Amino acid sequence: MMPVDYLVAQDLHKSFNEHKAVNGVSFTIHKREIFGLLGPNGAGKTTTIRMLSTVLEPDQGDVIIGGHLIRREAEEVRNLIGVCPQELALYVELGALDNLIFFGRMAGMSSQEAREQAMAHLKLVGLEERAKGKIDKFSGGMKRRVNLAVALMGHPELLFLDEPTVGIDPQSRNNIYETIEGLRDKGMTILHTTHYMEEADRLCDRVAIMDGGQVIALDTPHALKAQIGSPDQVTLEDVFLKMTGRSLRD
Amino acid sequence: MTKALQIAWLQVRIYLQDKSDLAFSLLLPVVTFALMYFVFGGLTQFHATAHIVNEDPGGVYSEAFIEQLEAFDELNIDLLSLDKADGKLERADLLMFIVIPEGFSEKLASGEPVELLFKQRGNGGQEQQIVAALVRSVANDISLELQAQGQVIAALVDTDTTISRIETTVERLFAEERENPTVAVTEDTIGSSPDPVEQFLPGIITMYVLFAIILSARTLVEERHLGTLERLLTTRLSVGELFAGKFIAGISRGFIQTVILMVLSYAVFQIFTPLSFVSSLLVALIFTCAASALGLVIASAVRTPDQASWVGVFFTMAMVMIGGTFFPIEEGSVMEIISRFSVNTYANDALGTLINEGGSLGDIGLEIGVLAGVIVVGLLLSRYLFKVMPGGR
Ligand SMILES: Nc1ncnc2c1ncn2[C@@H]1O[C@H](COP(=O)(O)OP(=O)(O)OP(=O)(O)O)[C@@H](O)[C@H]1O
Ligand SMILES: [Mg+2]
Repeated sequence: MMPVDYLVAQDLHKSFNEHKAVNGVSFTIHKREIFGLLGPNGAGKTTTIRMLSTVLEPDQGDVIIGGHLIRREAEEVRNLIGVCPQELALYVELGALDNLIFFGRMAGMSSQEAREQAMAHLKLVGLEERAKGKIDKFSGGMKRRVNLAVALMGHPELLFLDEPTVGIDPQSRNNIYETIEGLRDKGMTILHTTHYMEEADRLCDRVAIMDGGQVIALDTPHALKAQIGSPDQVTLEDVFLKMTGRSLRD
Repeated sequence: MTKALQIAWLQVRIYLQDKSDLAFSLLLPVVTFALMYFVFGGLTQFHATAHIVNEDPGGVYSEAFIEQLEAFDELNIDLLSLDKADGKLERADLLMFIVIPEGFSEKLASGEPVELLFKQRGNGGQEQQIVAALVRSVANDISLELQAQGQVIAALVDTDTTISRIETTVERLFAEERENPTVAVTEDTIGSSPDPVEQFLPGIITMYVLFAIILSARTLVEERHLGTLERLLTTRLSVGELFAGKFIAGISRGFIQTVILMVLSYAVFQIFTPLSFVSSLLVALIFTCAASALGLVIASAVRTPDQASWVGVFFTMAMVMIGGTFFPIEEGSVMEIISRFSVNTYANDALGTLINEGGSLGDIGLEIGVLAGVIVVGLLLSRYLFKVMPGGR
């Protein structure tokens, strides 16, 4: 059976004052797939996600999500997507539940609906006991999990996860892995970025490696590893370093 | 629109939870006001202390003398010993004191003349000269009373009226005269009294409201950095709704503060009538809208939270300083022309007209018009500048 393309990005370009952050990026994400977007700092991953999630307008290129062309039907696209941004985008003065309810309301839910979903999602990320707790008082791992839970409000069909596991302990990270896998099993399509290569290897069905605003490789982790040696002996990290080089980015 | 209201409500909840913000916006105005009241309150009416050394303690006339001095609202009586008073005069801790000599009452009772002593540094200073005049007037009263008594007793000495009866009658007559003087003085005051409360309260309220709203421009810039604004735009919220929400948030925050401050001043100083209170609230609401629009202009024009703070503080201070908050602005002065560039001027003038001059909304059409203009221009400008993220929507 041919996989269904849920997201199509075609030749995306974005510059900030002469600086080309994204320079001709194209890829497709299949329905029910976890698609990894990897790349060194400044590769253009976040900028790409911003264009895909209707926040930034591409200078050039098109995006189709769930059959809707973003340029024309941004509203419809927003109904389909959930975004977990790289930075913690939460109101830290408020409780976890209040944050989820607020973003749920912004997604167009009734207050009753928002509350029910919020509780369900907090349970999913293991925070139902701390629903009333202020974000201020949460640990880094708990904040990351709330950040993810907010993205789930409204049951999006397509989820953008921009480094959802950065800077947290293995326990919280495993909770997030399990949550992501559970969501995929329920039919969600996921775009995932990370700097942890084992994480991408474990979770992602296919990965794209970006560098300098361009996609330089795109395949399953297994096939990418096979390109440079025996897949059982090399790691995705070896592939990554071989393709992007060892020079530091700034 | 309901989403805009929800955004505003969220902001208000955050504001009400932040204890330091609450303290700043509510406690500080009260403290400032108390300080100003303390400083300026003393200037409006004469008030001084009379330092008295009583060497005739317990004497009938010395006590009566002090009692009559205490009856003056303008005077505080400070009783002290001669040594202490001399020491203080020496150190210039006081500029004049009055000595009631020993045997003051006894001598007066036996008809002998007595002398009060004013001991002073130089001429005692203006304030103490007034005190001295008041003391002289009391001394005059007492000697008049005693002279009258003496004369009456001398005239009636051959009749069978008792002396004590004459004394009580004369005393009663003089007491009545003090109560209802034959030559009375009434005060006819023209125009409003320079009551510091009425003069400075509007300025202080508008100052803190402007401060609070303009400084909350910082939180909007922080939200942009934090990413919550960006996140909101991936929901079904439009940029317009987000912008409206932040505008309403500024208004609600400022208006909560204004209402509390105005209710407090209504309760404590009774400077409002019910009508002037309602119209003042309306003016305050319009001013709050203008401040909120200006806050959005700043939040949209600057890049970092620190810039927002600096621009906000500078802008507010400038508005407050030239807006006649701390000193009355004289008509026709250069200052008056400069003050026209401050939003606070219009709000302060409008509130002043309502509170001090008993004016109605019809008298402040110009001020309301200018404030409304600031709202419109501010909103247009900030909406034009407002970007959730640089290079984005
Ligand atoms: N709003 C912006 N204004 C100016 N330059 C920007 C902006 N956003 C991104 N850039 C620049 O574009 C380039 C790509 O940034 P981007 O955030 O997309 O990288 P990234 O792959 O997500 O990196 P990281 O792994 O560090 O998150 C960088 O050089 C960055 O400095
Ligand atoms: Mg990034």
